[in-house]
This record gives sequence, structure tokens and C-alpha cells, in this order.
Amino acid sequence: MATMANRLKLSGFSEMLTTSRQRRENFYGYLFLTPWLIGFFGLFLGPGLFSLYLSFTKYDVLSAPEWIGLKNYIKMFSDDPLFYTSLGRTFYYAGVGIPLGVFGSMFLAILLNAKLRGLAAYRTLFFMPSLVPIVASVVLWKWLLHADFGIINQWLVDIGWSDPPGWFGDRRWAIPSLIFMGLWQGLGGTRMIIFLAGLQGIPESLYEAASIDGATAFHKLRHVTIPLLTPTIFFNMVLGVIGGLQVFTAAFVATEGGPGFATTFYSLHLYRQAFDYWNMGYAATLAWFFALVIVSLTIWQLRLSRRWVFYYGS
Amino acid sequence: MKNLVSRRSFLQGAVAVSAGALAACVAPAAPEGDMADEGAAMEPVHLRWDTFRGIGSGWNEERIETFTEMHSDVTIELRPLAGSGQQDNYAKMYAAQAAGDLGEVVAFDPSHYHFWRAINKGIIMPIDELVAADDTPLSEWFEHFLGLQYYQGQLYGFPSWGWAGFDTLVLNAVHVEEAGLDVPDPVGRDVSIDTIHEWAHSFYVEGERFGLNISHNEATVVVLCRLFGSSLINEEGTQCLLLEDSNATEAMRWAYDLGVVDQVLPAPGDLENAGGALVAGLLTMNWCGSLCVRNFNNQIEDESVAKAWQILFPAREDGRYPSQLRGGTWNLRTDQDHADVAFQFLRHIAGHDGSLSFNLVAGNFAMVRPDVVQSLIDEDPIHDWFISSLENGIPAHAPANSRGREYTSAVQQWTDLLLDPHQPVEFEKGLQDLNDNIQAVLDMEPA
Repeated sequence: MATMANRLKLSGFSEMLTTSRQRRENFYGYLFLTPWLIGFFGLFLGPGLFSLYLSFTKYDVLSAPEWIGLKNYIKMFSDDPLFYTSLGRTFYYAGVGIPLGVFGSMFLAILLNAKLRGLAAYRTLFFMPSLVPIVASVVLWKWLLHADFGIINQWLVDIGWSDPPGWFGDRRWAIPSLIFMGLWQGLGGTRMIIFLAGLQGIPESLYEAASIDGATAFHKLRHVTIPLLTPTIFFNMVLGVIGGLQVFTAAFVATEGGPGFATTFYSLHLYRQAFDYWNMGYAATLAWFFALVIVSLTIWQLRLSRRWVFYYGS
Repeated sequence: MKNLVSRRSFLQGAVAVSAGALAACVAPAAPEGDMADEGAAMEPVHLRWDTFRGIGSGWNEERIETFTEMHSDVTIELRPLAGSGQQDNYAKMYAAQAAGDLGEVVAFDPSHYHFWRAINKGIIMPIDELVAADDTPLSEWFEHFLGLQYYQGQLYGFPSWGWAGFDTLVLNAVHVEEAGLDVPDPVGRDVSIDTIHEWAHSFYVEGERFGLNISHNEATVVVLCRLFGSSLINEEGTQCLLLEDSNATEAMRWAYDLGVVDQVLPAPGDLENAGGALVAGLLTMNWCGSLCVRNFNNQIEDESVAKAWQILFPAREDGRYPSQLRGGTWNLRTDQDHADVAFQFLRHIAGHDGSLSFNLVAGNFAMVRPDVVQSLIDEDPIHDWFISSLENGIPAHAPANSRGREYTSAVQQWTDLLLDPHQPVEFEKGLQDLNDNIQAVLDMEPA
């Protein structure tokens, strides 16, 4: 009994000490968290919830928001011709651009992971386009892809294409032009660096074992490199989908959504509703719908990843 | 122990902070009534000038300095608006107004379609009483540019920039001389529509040069319709005329034939830097504003490649010159304590010296005062070329519902579709779509 009492006393004393220390730690923990919490609640959650409220209102910034219930949502689905077309164009851009970008970066990284002389120089060269400001990139590509005076069309004519594309000036080619521009800038960028990091995390012993088993370079790529890169591919795909669906700047600068709405992507449509036409309530509706689309796609990707992403050692 | 912060109380505090931030997001109610403090007139006056015009040129500072030298009890704070584009700056001004922080001297330009919205929202004030008290001679400004400053019978500002719109074909005379043709009189208005059509073909060399460039913005489409004796929308800003008036239909048919049938015009988006193409000898005629010839002239480096000239459009049957007189404004914000002082500053920046240096120092096109135009002609005789359109031009028409941004966007994008040579649409269908989409904007509820 005495032992038990001592134990209890000691335990209580220890608990008191722990509690006191814990409280102090809690205090400092919260203190250091405060800037982030203020940012989170004040600049993210607060405005986010406010924009949800705005999506049920008519609001032009200068007048108080007027509650209109579901009218904005009904308008979005039934009375906005640019809603479906801009959504479709956005999926077209993302559906073509993201796989090309992710797998292009992956193969570039594989090439740049080889043991070559001057490898650092090659890596730097491929990384450099990603450092070019997007506006400068747009100016450059608008000249390169100029339908009549551009060097690319001159090459195409030289090799026998008598009627080369109109690129940015042609509704059929405007989105592919933006995809080309995005690939030039994005293939060798941070995505490639992430793939390089992933490649260097693959144990050398696996390649040695494959060699002993008589595997060719292609077999090693197919059965070692790509399976072990799937977490990196998955990571880049998730980020790529989120970023690709939000395509805005290139179209805003290069084509202003034209010609004939051909590059009016969803984000550009949303931006115009908000900051050109001052339909803030409707723009908030568009934003919330799109947020749901992106979250749904991300969840879908996460679920799908269980089938194809392989975590070595797990 | 009681002083320690529990999780619950901490989170309650965080929620309170969040709620405070949320409340700050809500636009405050606009101030009501006359805020004037009777005693304030005796105090030193401080004005705030929110603008994106002239910033970085030194013009604004010079205007403030010369004004405050004359009025030692006044201080003026210049608050530059530095958005990535002009429209972004209006966004900033609206946000500032919503937050109760808009400066006393501002500008909501009619030609950017913000003027009427700003009046309807009570942002800018009428200045008729101040004009009467000051006995300001309104004849200082061209009548049509001053006319742009009126709304429902009241005057809301003085003109800032102003010109005759896309009233000219800026011409590279080198190409005309090389073709063995007589270079037209730059102010003669004797080049017919048929000749322009013919030259668009004859100066076009596939893969090397365009004869004519027509951009698809509202400024061009309006003057195109006016060239044929009509306009794009009626004076009231309620009706699109493309199907209503056969002259407007004919105008669009003319452009359609050149762009889609004959395919001698640049496709939409092909030639955004038309000024650069002119200088490089890649373009013969660019449908632009008469003032563009001045820029073209200044940019030329090799006169064997390009020489600045212009063709003014022929007079219409009604005697008016195809043009779109358009311009900007300087305004006073409503509910300010010292509107009389701000008004004097408005006169200072819109007067002869202010307007002249607005051209020469700030680099704006401000052909809004006869005395300034004369000073500009003395500076560079090329300015004489612009006078006739200013004197006998046709004012801009704006949508009655203040949906100017939607209107210009609809015109640009649907004209792109009508005049797209890559995926041509039937003229009748393309014109119907263009008309319907413009009309849909004009039929929207007021902004």
C-alpha cells in the first residue's frame, strides 16, 4: 500500500511537472504558430468562406452584396455560353499538356541522369528556359510562331509543308501553341529536377541485379526505373493537374483569350467576370465550382494511385 | 495557472481574429451626406491624387510643385497606381473607394467605360457649381471632348487625353513610291474605299508583306462602320446596327471579302505589333489613329525601308469624317471637404500648360484644347495632319448600361470569329452572331 501511495504521489508530482512544462511549451508553441494562424484564418479561411457567401450574392465591390440564392449557380450551368467552352478548353490544355510535360520531363531527367561528360552544363542548359519570365517567353514564341514571318513556319515551308499552321492566330492551333510554349519552358524546369532527385534515389544494387539477370537497358527502364519512379510521377501528376487546370498567365499575355475565344480558359473567364466586369458574386461561383473540380480530381488521383504507384521498401 | 492560455481560448481568439479579418473584407457602406467640416476650410488642405497617368515621367510632380508654389497652404500627395494594365488600375480605384480610401483627384475615363459607372455609383461629383463659381471658360476645350464629360446634363470633369480614334491608315510611303504611284495628300481625304481595297491586294506579297492590317478591336470596327456611313451601335447605346443598317452590313462585308474570301489581311492575332511591322517594312497600311503616324515617324531608323505617311478616310455623305472622338477625364471624388481647392488643381492639370506637358512630358495624346494643338503644331508640323478629324469628327457612342468592358470584349472576339480565314464562317452567320452578342451585352442590366 505504501509503495502504491508513493507511486501515486510520485505520479501526481510527475504529472504536475509535466503539466506545467507542457503548458509552457503549449504557450510558446501557439505563440510561434500565431503568425501562420493569423495568415490562415485571416487571409485564407476567412476570405475563402466570404467568397463562398459571395457566390450566393450579386456583388460589384461598390455596393453591399445582395443575396440571390442559387441564381449564380443556375446561370453558370444554364446561361453562360463561355462556362462549358472555357471548361472544355481548359481540360484540352491540361489533358494534352500535362502528360506531355510530365513524361517529357521524366525522359529528359533519365537522359540527364546518364554518366556523360559535361552533364552539369547540359542540366543547366535545359533548366534555363524555366528561368525566362513568362512575358519574355510569350514575346519570343509569338515571333517564332508567327504565321507569316516566323522562323518555324519558314522551316516548315522549307521541308515541304506548303500551308503551315497559323499558330496563335489560328483557333485550331492557338492552344497547341500555348502547349508548345509551356513545354519549352516547363520540361527542363523544377519538374525535371524532382525526377532527377527521384532517379538518384533508386538503389544502384537493383540495376546491378538486373544486369546479372541479363536485363537490357530497356528492361531496366521498364522494370526498375519507371516502377521506382512512380511516386515521383504521381507527385508531378498531382501538381501538374492542379497547375495545368489553372492555366492563365500565358493565355492572358499571349492571346488575351482570343482569337475568337479560342484560348479563353476557365481561369481567364473567371478573372474577366471578377475584374473586368465586376461580377464578383458570379466569379466566386465559378471559383467554388472549379475548386470542387480540382479537389475531386485530386482525390480521384489519390485513389487511383493505389493501383499503380509503387513505394520501394513499403 | 489561470493566466495560461488553453487550447479552447486560443482557438476562440484565433476565430475572433478570423472573424475580424472577414468583417474587414466586407465593403463598408458608402459615406452618406455632406461630410464637410465647416471649420476645415481654415486648416491647411491636403489632397490625394490617385492616378496612373503620367507616372514616372515627372509630369505629375511638376504639376504638384507648380500648384503648391501658388497655394502654400495646400499639400498634394501623389499616389501612383501601378497595375499591370490600365484596367487593373480601375480595379484598385474601386477597391480604394469601397475601403473609403480613394483620393480626392481621380480619373474614370469615358473611353475606358468607367466614367458613367463611377457616376452611377456616386464615386465622382458634378462640378457645374464649381465651374460657375470660378467662371471657368469652358470654350478652352474642344467642344466634343468637353461633351464627353457630361452625363445627364451635368459636367463631371475636364478632358485629359483625347483623340479622334482609329481614323487613319498609317502608310509606309516607301512602298507606294516603289510601286510608282503618287503618294496621296496626307490630309486630302481623296483616297477612296475602292482604292484602299485595291492597295490591300496590290501591296500584299505572300510571306513577305501585308498591304493592309485591320485589327478587330472596337475602335476599328466602329470607324469601319462609320466609313460606310453607319456606326456600330446607335447614339443612345442601346441598339447594335450591324443588321439594322445596310451600310454597317456593307462595311463588314468589305472587311470579310478582304480577310476571309481574298485572304490578304493578317489573321486575328497575326500582327499584334503592327507598329513594328510598319517600321520593318512588313506592312504598307495600318488602320490606326492619326496620332500613330507621329509615333511611326519617331520610330523610323532607315528611311529607305519606311517613311511615315497617312491616308485620311474620305468624308461621308453627311459631311462628317469617319472617326471616333474619344478621350479621358480628370474628376473629383464625391464627399470631400475641399472640393474648391481640388477643383483649382483640376484646372491646373487640365489647363494649357498642364495639357501641353501632358503631351510632351507624360507622352499622352491630349489633343483636347485648340491652344495645345497649336503649340504641338509649332513643336512638330505633323500634328497639323490631325486637325480635321478633331474639328469634324464623330463622337464615340457608349453602351447605355455602362457595360463597356463586356461590349469591347464581345466586339473583339466575335469579329475575330467573323473574319477568321483559317476556319471561315458564312458571312451571314458570322455577322448574325456578332450582332447578337453585341446586342446581348447592350441588353444587360446596368452595371
